[in-house]
Amino acid sequence: MAIVLDGIVFGLQLSLLAVGLTLIYGLGGVLNLAHGQFAAVAAIIGAVLVGRGHAPLVAVTLAVLAAGLLALFIDRTLMRPVYKLTGEARVLLSLLLTLGAAFLIDGLLIYYHPSTALNLSVPRLGLDLFGVRMRGSSIAASLVAIVVLVGLMLFLRYARFGKAIRSIIQDEVGAQLCGINPGRVRTVVFVLSGLLAGLVAATQAMISSVGSTDGLNFTILALIVTVVGGLGRVSGALVAGLLLGIVYTLASFHIGAFVTFVILLLAAIATILVRPSGILGKVS
Amino acid sequence: MGLDVQTGADAVAPTPPERAAIVSPLRAYAPVVVAAVVLALLPLAFGGSGYYRTLAIIMLVYAAYAIAFNIIFGGTGQLFLCLGALGGLSAYVSVVLTQDGGLPLLVTVPLGTLLAAALGALFSWVAVRRNLDVIFIGIVTLAFSLVFYNMVQGLRSLTGGETGMVVTGGTGTPLRGAVSYYVFVALLVAFLALYQLIDRSHLGWAFRALKNDELAAELAGIDVARYRIMAGAIGAAMVGLTGALYVHHEGFISPSVFNFAHLDVRVLVVLAFGGIGSLLGPIVGAAAVSVLDEFLRPLGQLRLAVYGVVLMTLFLFFRQGVVPTLAAATHRVRDRVRR
Amino acid sequence: MLRVEDLHVAYGETEVVHGVTFRVDAGEAVAIIGSNGAGKTTVLRTVCGLLAARSGRVEFEDVSLTGRSADRIARLGVAYVPAERHLFPGMSVAINLELGAYPKKPDPERFAYVYELFPRLKDRLAQLAGTMSGGEQQMLAVGRALMAGPKLLMLDEPTTGLAPILAEEAYRALAQLRDDGDVTVLVAEQQVPLALELADRGYVLEDGRIQLEGRADDLEHNPDVQRAYLGIA
Repeated sequence: MAIVLDGIVFGLQLSLLAVGLTLIYGLGGVLNLAHGQFAAVAAIIGAVLVGRGHAPLVAVTLAVLAAGLLALFIDRTLMRPVYKLTGEARVLLSLLLTLGAAFLIDGLLIYYHPSTALNLSVPRLGLDLFGVRMRGSSIAASLVAIVVLVGLMLFLRYARFGKAIRSIIQDEVGAQLCGINPGRVRTVVFVLSGLLAGLVAATQAMISSVGSTDGLNFTILALIVTVVGGLGRVSGALVAGLLLGIVYTLASFHIGAFVTFVILLLAAIATILVRPSGILGKVS
Repeated sequence: MGLDVQTGADAVAPTPPERAAIVSPLRAYAPVVVAAVVLALLPLAFGGSGYYRTLAIIMLVYAAYAIAFNIIFGGTGQLFLCLGALGGLSAYVSVVLTQDGGLPLLVTVPLGTLLAAALGALFSWVAVRRNLDVIFIGIVTLAFSLVFYNMVQGLRSLTGGETGMVVTGGTGTPLRGAVSYYVFVALLVAFLALYQLIDRSHLGWAFRALKNDELAAELAGIDVARYRIMAGAIGAAMVGLTGALYVHHEGFISPSVFNFAHLDVRVLVVLAFGGIGSLLGPIVGAAAVSVLDEFLRPLGQLRLAVYGVVLMTLFLFFRQGVVPTLAAATHRVRDRVRR
Repeated sequence: MLRVEDLHVAYGETEVVHGVTFRVDAGEAVAIIGSNGAGKTTVLRTVCGLLAARSGRVEFEDVSLTGRSADRIARLGVAYVPAERHLFPGMSVAINLELGAYPKKPDPERFAYVYELFPRLKDRLAQLAGTMSGGEQQMLAVGRALMAGPKLLMLDEPTTGLAPILAEEAYRALAQLRDDGDVTVLVAEQQVPLALELADRGYVLEDGRIQLEGRADDLEHNPDVQRAYLGIA
């Protein structure tokens, strides 16, 4: 049971990580392979600031904002030419350009901060849940993730801008005819995805350390969750994240860490073969 | 444009291999021969220096990877982001079977190659099964890169983990010593010939058709799925073969050689330079990248950042690759001068 | 209100609209009639910003529309109801309507007006747009376009896929719109009788060119028009 709960904790992080990525795809049919690097950048900036004596909360807030800023920069520079294309050319260019950006960021981070890592300590209180003692760090990380995810879902469902986002995903032309500017919305969502990735760096840092080399891992995990949840479906990313989190933790515990990744890969492949629109099935 | 069934099918069906064969075998394979000769004579330029030979072999190896990627991506548009993982898997399998299993190189290297081919075919098959686009292949292969890295770590007792292990399998074969250069030249020339062979064959025609207009190709009776899988298998086999041969030459294997952030990034830059879909582009690109790599060696890890910038710049401004773009530009200048 | 001058539109290399000129004055209802493939949709899509013109001028209330994005043009007061409607299938009628008013907050008076025009929408507020029938979707599309309080309402073949009774009902609604005086209406239509009955003036578009123009009554009685579109020998 403890493992399942751990799985949920991890799963919440995965959901948080994947939600931004899946939204970007839903809005523009593009994928950001530098997504994990947003988290890595946040981790390093946070770690550096904490190292300089700033209060962790301040450091983390600044770090998350920095991730958002980086996302804004990439959207305004790299994504402009990408959105001018359509269909497969657009996807390809987005993959190649963001891959280049990922390499650039990774190269810089690993070179200048090879061993810097963010570690956030959370007060040692424990809580009993279903008879299992949960560490303060897990609880804190999960709470943040839950609040943000729920907030995001509510926003998408009820806020005017949230509805505008959904409308573009459902029918971009229709949205334009309603006076909604898809480009501007995409930029906002891209920045949001950066902020969310930065936030995951913070929540993960409560549980284990997050360093400069974790960027690619985060990206790939987010990609797998996105695929299993169905590209472009926020609810799918949520469910898939939780599911894969549990699978990951269970497999890790019973079989071993490295086979776990094989299982995740197989999960992605299985989803593509059996339910290409994600585990939640076709959108009605 | 794509929905007019009649014209689509007509546009693709009539002149298949005959069209490619209009270019005589002589003209088609001449560049291959020229490349072979140039590469064979190259050692004269570095006069016995082991350092330059090593550099040249690395160039040949990257060119080989690039040709394989060219077939997969240039031919059928599948973005395989797991070249390092494929080459590495083949290499590790071959090494482990040779050293722990006692099997001869002549068995283990093909086995490794076959395994890589099988995986390449698997990935293509998965994406093709559902008629899915670029994204899924990219994601699945990227995930595989992660899997590979973790497998090497996890099976530490077999693979030597992060630190790697010494490879003895190549001793006593042409893969060691000065002759090794020619082994890799032969490999590369074989790959070039294979590339041309495919291009001029039924396969190449099918590749062009399905890249041009997949729907029309399907309607013309081309089994897109089968050709995609073939391209994936062949390209992956080439990558696997190269990887296995390389480690037996080097005498050492470790995951860092086959890391996504080491191998794949360089192959991408090679193709960005040399142009995707050109025959000799990979060689030109590989030469450029080898030189650049050596030049930037003191920067260490920062090289990754440089390559990232290079990739972004090249794909932003030289969509076709530096070499083809410059070639096209020089043609235009030449035409203008003629008038 | 709307002035289109010498509009040329091409799809790639192929020009499909060759120098079209027309205007729509405030408070009018204007019809552009023509057979399938004449270029009506192309013209409307260019005016509303979904297509880029090769050359020519489009002016709306003395503001140039050429080169502006579709969402910008929508916010300027030009509402377009395409033949494919482009509704949000996974969202309810209510939200589809609400988004029509974006970025403004939906005005309850506007809602009331739309319900008055299309009472059936009011009964189906929670229904998902994707599950509605063709006629209902058409009503929703027009209703959504009206939520922003546009000055010009352009409709592309609003009777597509509608049974004759529903088509008439649609045009009755359009007539009421025109009579209420808030909206100027421009309709592109293949079903000529309905369109000419509604309109004050009309243009005949064929092969990408304006072949005829005039008052709707005159066009209705024009022998060429009668032969080509009204089935009268």
